[in-house]
Amino acid sequence: MESQIQKIHNQLVAKEFTCTELVKEKLALLKENKYNSVNTVLEDLALEAAAKVDAKIANGEEIGLLEGIPFGIKDVYMVQGTYTSASSDLLKNYKSAYTATAIQKLLDAGAIPMAKENCDSFGHGSSSENTVFGSVKNAIDTSLVAGGSSGGSAVNVAADYTVFSIGGDTGGSIRQPAGYNKIYGLKPTYGRVSRYGLMAYASSTDTVGPLAKSIEDVAIVMNVMSGKDPKDQTTISSEEINNAIVASKPEGVKIGYFKNFIENDAIDSKVKADFLATIEKIKAAGYEVQELDFFDADTLVSTYYTLAMAETASNLSRLDGTNYGNRIEDKNLKETYMVTRSENFTEETKRRIVGGNQVLSQGFSDAIYLKGQQLRTQIEEAFEADFNKVDIILSPVTPGPVPKIGEVLSNPHAMYLSDAYTVGFSLGQLPTLTCPFGTETGIQVTGAKNKEQTILQFANFLNQVK
Amino acid sequence: MSKIMPVDILSSIKGAKSSEAVDKLFDVIKNAEINSNSSNQNTKNAVSIDDLRADVVENSSEITKQIIRENFPKEKDGYLVVSKVIEG
Repeated sequence: MESQIQKIHNQLVAKEFTCTELVKEKLALLKENKYNSVNTVLEDLALEAAAKVDAKIANGEEIGLLEGIPFGIKDVYMVQGTYTSASSDLLKNYKSAYTATAIQKLLDAGAIPMAKENCDSFGHGSSSENTVFGSVKNAIDTSLVAGGSSGGSAVNVAADYTVFSIGGDTGGSIRQPAGYNKIYGLKPTYGRVSRYGLMAYASSTDTVGPLAKSIEDVAIVMNVMSGKDPKDQTTISSEEINNAIVASKPEGVKIGYFKNFIENDAIDSKVKADFLATIEKIKAAGYEVQELDFFDADTLVSTYYTLAMAETASNLSRLDGTNYGNRIEDKNLKETYMVTRSENFTEETKRRIVGGNQVLSQGFSDAIYLKGQQLRTQIEEAFEADFNKVDIILSPVTPGPVPKIGEVLSNPHAMYLSDAYTVGFSLGQLPTLTCPFGTETGIQVTGAKNKEQTILQFANFLNQVK
Repeated sequence: MSKIMPVDILSSIKGAKSSEAVDKLFDVIKNAEINSNSSNQNTKNAVSIDDLRADVVENSSEITKQIIRENFPKEKDGYLVVSKVIEG
């Protein structure tokens, strides 16, 4: 698909419609919303920003590419003065006191914030059913889940409620819902986009990334959001993605895929067949494709969840109702903490906090947490070795098809295992793009750290041969 | 003298206990084999001392202060009310 951002930009400049008209149309869709994809509609903020863009156009001033483009924000990002609930009861009425760096950069570029989007509470889920705002429905088939945790963001883009949305990806939370709703979703290299103002889930793998309908739009948004930020000291510098290079044919790149992801009993037969058919098309186009060995899915999932639970237990320990949040008073301070957290966290969030505290506690930390850290180091080393052999690693997004609403949360262990193909790249802090083709839930294109341009270029080629 | 603190206290969640779904994940880690030749990459992820930001106090804007006050769960006679910390 062509760039939606470029198309709307041209239409605004040509005065085919005003920005206010565009924003009003999208606001109506977001409010009517049959997918449960939104927690708060930012009507006043959006109309105010749209009026500024219209005034510039009326004055004959030039507007930037993102000026006047409506976008959505996963409800885990701070936007000053807006509710930021993390889809939880605890923060349902919490107002952001400041704005996240990534979002501020988009606002500075003139993009129009439309809505805070429904998601799994604190990012804890793979279906966007773990939310106090009601399950998000899939944009293509409403009997299916939207995917998670950035489910509302993926649905809003797929349904054309927003032109792009900003999700958050800790273990697959952009890539999997993007695949479930047949759009693009990029998990950037860890640190490429500032996490300042993103409500922390697992700080060592949390990333900020876009969901959009075209590869070009992903690149446009990434170029605005990327960069070092003194407020997040894990940020790294990066080069701008060149859309002309992205549009050109990739030359001399070597492709790899993990044999054990494909040759196991857990993968759906159609996902396997479709993935292998894509590999054959790539070979037919003259590219060298190598089979690679990698860690088994059980080890990847267990390592990721062990570390992510430990980090979320620490990150969410501050949520006790003392300074903000829905405090429930009880007989003393300890009981007030207990009741506030017990009543206001969802079952899945509590399961992860408890799991995290288990692995961090005496007697468990050596056997589980520290061993998990060692496994992560080995996984990172394996990626480094693989990227000495190949430039791109391809994999399905999920082992199975999109689940029906109600199937996922009832079996948490199965939910964790369904993240088998996404969590490894998170542990490796690698850039990975979901493309909406190749298998029912899409195909992931991964590169070495900071190789966003390479993966977008290869994805563009794949889009042409699919 | 060590005392094991139960997970419900550690988590400040009433009745919290370990779950089978999560324990299955931990069992995989317990049984996993570690390659002893693996290097320690911790230093690779460390922040360089040159990249540390200056430790300065910045005054928040009036709107930030106002929202912080608004978010506070309880206010009485112009004071923000916290739970009773010291028991009589």
